[in-house]
Amino acid sequence: MATETIAARGSSLRTWLVLLIIWEICGRLQLIASGALPAPSSILMRLWIDRADYPPHILATLEGAGVGFLIGNGIAVAAGVLFALFPMAARLGRGVNIALFALPAIAISPLLVLTFSDMTPRIILAAIGCYFVTMSSTVTGISQTDQRMIEVIRAYGGGRWKILVLAQMRSALPAILSGLRIAAPNAVLGSILAEFGGGGRYGLGVYLIGSLGRAEPDRLWGIGLAATLIAGLAYAVFSLIALRFTGATKAVTVPATAPGGATMSWPLWLRLLLSTGSVVIPIALWWLLLIAMGTPAMIAKTPLGLFEYLFLQPNSQASQMKLLAALGQTLPLTIAGMALGIAFAFGLALMSVLRPGIIRGFMPVALVTQTMPLVALTPLLVLILGRGPSLILWITISVTFFPAFVTMAQGLSMVPRAALDVPRAYGASLFTQLRLVSVPASLPYLFAATRLAVPRALLGVMIAEWLATGTGLGNLLNQSRGYLDYGMIWAVAVVSVLLSVVFYQCVVLIERPVLARRGMRAAQ
Amino acid sequence: MNLTIDRRRFLGLLGATAAFPAMGRHAHAATPFNFQAAWINDAEFMGYFLAIDKGYYKDEGLDVTYFSGGPDVIPESTIITGKADLTLTTPDTTIKAIVEQGAPFKIIGAQYQKNPIGIVSLAKNPIMEPKDLIGKTLAVPPVNVISVEAMLKISGVDRAQVNIVPYAYDPTPLIKGEIDASLDFTTNVPFTIQQSGAEAVSFLLYDFGFTIFNDTVVVTEEALKTKRKEIAGFLKASRKGWIENFKDPTGYPATLADTWFKGTGRSIENEVYFNTAQQPLMETDGGFFSMSEEAIAANIKALAAVGIAAKREHFDTTVLEEIG
Amino acid sequence: MTGPSGIRLDTVSRSFKGRGTTVQALDNVSLDCPAGSFTALIGPSGCGKSTLLRLALGLDQADSGEVSIAGLAPMDAARAGMTGVAFQDAALMPWRSVEDNIALPLDVLGQPRRDNAAKIASLIDLVGLAGFEKALPGELSGGMRQRVAIARSLVTNPQVLFLDEPFGALDQILRRQMNVELQRIWIASRATTLLVTHGIDEAVFLADRVAVMQSKPGRITRIIDIPLMRPRGPDVFTSAEFHRLEDEIAGALNGH
Repeated sequence: MATETIAARGSSLRTWLVLLIIWEICGRLQLIASGALPAPSSILMRLWIDRADYPPHILATLEGAGVGFLIGNGIAVAAGVLFALFPMAARLGRGVNIALFALPAIAISPLLVLTFSDMTPRIILAAIGCYFVTMSSTVTGISQTDQRMIEVIRAYGGGRWKILVLAQMRSALPAILSGLRIAAPNAVLGSILAEFGGGGRYGLGVYLIGSLGRAEPDRLWGIGLAATLIAGLAYAVFSLIALRFTGATKAVTVPATAPGGATMSWPLWLRLLLSTGSVVIPIALWWLLLIAMGTPAMIAKTPLGLFEYLFLQPNSQASQMKLLAALGQTLPLTIAGMALGIAFAFGLALMSVLRPGIIRGFMPVALVTQTMPLVALTPLLVLILGRGPSLILWITISVTFFPAFVTMAQGLSMVPRAALDVPRAYGASLFTQLRLVSVPASLPYLFAATRLAVPRALLGVMIAEWLATGTGLGNLLNQSRGYLDYGMIWAVAVVSVLLSVVFYQCVVLIERPVLARRGMRAAQ
Repeated sequence: MNLTIDRRRFLGLLGATAAFPAMGRHAHAATPFNFQAAWINDAEFMGYFLAIDKGYYKDEGLDVTYFSGGPDVIPESTIITGKADLTLTTPDTTIKAIVEQGAPFKIIGAQYQKNPIGIVSLAKNPIMEPKDLIGKTLAVPPVNVISVEAMLKISGVDRAQVNIVPYAYDPTPLIKGEIDASLDFTTNVPFTIQQSGAEAVSFLLYDFGFTIFNDTVVVTEEALKTKRKEIAGFLKASRKGWIENFKDPTGYPATLADTWFKGTGRSIENEVYFNTAQQPLMETDGGFFSMSEEAIAANIKALAAVGIAAKREHFDTTVLEEIG
Repeated sequence: MTGPSGIRLDTVSRSFKGRGTTVQALDNVSLDCPAGSFTALIGPSGCGKSTLLRLALGLDQADSGEVSIAGLAPMDAARAGMTGVAFQDAALMPWRSVEDNIALPLDVLGQPRRDNAAKIASLIDLVGLAGFEKALPGELSGGMRQRVAIARSLVTNPQVLFLDEPFGALDQILRRQMNVELQRIWIASRATTLLVTHGIDEAVFLADRVAVMQSKPGRITRIIDIPLMRPRGPDVFTSAEFHRLEDEIAGALNGH
């Protein structure tokens, strides 16, 4: 066993080293994009030269990301517990949850900057980046608690609270930790994004916007590396904690009983009421928030104002046409990007079981793709991939795969040992074990991962359109921002959220019957 | 930003208590005045930095808080929400908002008499005039696409013959030849290109018919009524700052290296280049910020080409007249 | 009829709705377990044994009829700490050590653990796990885990004990040992006990009475008294009386 881990570690180290050497050679010889990819050594040298610049920027980013991380995850865990305990609350909150998850950061950043100043937009973006992953991991963790333990507690008269404290929270811990692990890079990136646009003095994002005009890729990579380091550290800390807890949480035997759920027995009228509520609540919140903040009507479009903009004004028809044309460009690529991103995540998750060494070697690269601000990579990507659909698809994959991958890998690793013993006893290969046991057993996680990936695909496409191709919703958003076309900014934001919700609901529609047929319950 | 303000307020309070007897002359504190810049701290705002540092605003009874800009900061929005009292904008977007959305803005001055925005290309693949763009790829920030379209139209170039892609702040694709030209501040990007060992050429949109100001000074109509005195004071002090700046355009940037330019990621040499290059675009007979009737007419004409119905009434020269 | 700590089911019915079908898990079942008695429930799979037990534990609600534990509703009895339970599966918490798992009912009932430290230690001793106090379930064999579950069911000094095939996963030898141990524990505690089992020998060895159940619909068809003297030693398993009783139950199971 021990030698196996050392061997695995060795192999991941080898992967690492090989990658680094290839990178160094490519950079030195200017093999990639005629030198737009700098060598690791020149990035490090540049970091050394710029070392005096970094401390205030890193501190500011740590503050924005850190406070956002704490607030966002605090709310997320509390909400997750609430949703797991009260299915009705979960149903009602679904609209808000998906909307928060699907909110395109590039659309709300200017809106946040309008009304808040200093650290607040950074903290809000970081917190929003954390909320959904952690909330859904908490619900997943709690709802996947071994029903047998719950029965024991109930048999001794234990109520909801006792079940939560004694069984569910602890049993959800690995899931929550894996959520925090994904949330960490999200928080860093959220803060950096707000710094980038928000016009403050310090923060890695501020440093980035100032450095962008210098045409010095090694500086940009240095900033990206600093961001990755912060996120990577947080990721490593939560991975280590998770490692400590996962082993002791894995059920020793396979639960025979399906996790129970009251959701199925709701009468139709109640389900309709809850569905309506889940749609109405985010809209009501949107409205109330604007009233509460007292933002002038010209800037802040209420649902009514948006309706007026899109349907009742003299140039409504032109606005509609613009929006529809942009949608026509964005939608097909979103669907393709979605499929590719999920496939890529699934492949990686399988690899993490089949070839853990390679995956461990790949993790730092994956993290870089999550924390490296895409705007810094745009020149490189444009030089390598051009400005066509392939660029959009690659950016979409990179924006999509990570949370899906972590969730899928988590699901695969939670498969009980006993379940794997049967095929193993018949000499099944690792691949057959995956096919027969691991994948079917972690189906709730696979679906949860897909739901995580789907809204992000749209975000990925929009970012690529904004940065490189100048097409579709992403470009429309950026252009409207410049033209003070607030109606269009809100229209794009709302349409992108709605689209994400539709994609999400599509997954739910497939998920429900598939899991029900297998006697499983969806991981929220 | 927050830190400095708090510190300043804190010190102010300290000063007020400790030095109370000696404060007779400044019995009432300076009026707070918020200024939203259009971009991150660079030489584009030298005049304001100097006016703050040298106490010109204080002399006008103003306690100016300076907000840096950025890609997500829509300057016009900050004066609508009341975060700022005065801001710098591009006239096309401001007037478009006035005309199409009834936004209550007034343009009361112009920092750049000639818009510094131009087409930058490499000397080895030079683009010297709009016609050269035919068959080429041009990177343009999405917000400026209409300006480019206007220039092409005025110059008789078919829009369909130019491949316009988004410009994302980084000139690398231009230097590497992925694009042929980009639209940017000609006061800034050519420096970067020189630094990378290439030579840059450029022309201004202004010189090919798109005759507009840039960094127009904008306030709300209401502010113009209620805060007229402060606004005039701000303009007066800012003008003083710019005059001071151009006494030594190559020397002043370095004096701000540890304050206003600290940690921006840009180099002082770049600011020096910028500061020198912007001088001819700002200077005018009427003094900094002035808007002559011909210039206003030229703006109205150029904006009409983009389909923006600018009118003389959108420009208010009375404050300028007041400060002489 | 029922003493202060008896189990009483009065014309209890419970049905489950599946996809288009209704399964009558229990149909008008009545059963009285007097205080201090040991009753075994035996029957084919799907006869409603486990349903009956879940009703008695308050984990499920009957469609009609009444269930009372020592005169209380099942949940009230559970909250009063009067009951103990061991399931077919040990259902241990993988992150709790052996002693912490045994202490779980105390945590649920809000009883301070330090008052019961000696009790926990003696239970660990009783089930033969001395030296494994700090071990995690993942480090134990199936038999050991099941013994932890038995110890856990006894930690509250229950007046009523429910055992749902607690030794189903154990081998025959260990199972007989555990049967002898359980009898010893039961004689000491005199808790009213309801044992659900598949094993005829186990039922005869442990119980005062064996209730035989049939399925479709689930019901109790016969109650057979076991007049064997206590304490019953391992030699009882080979006695003629034991075999006669086994045969009688087997017959009842086959519908005779």
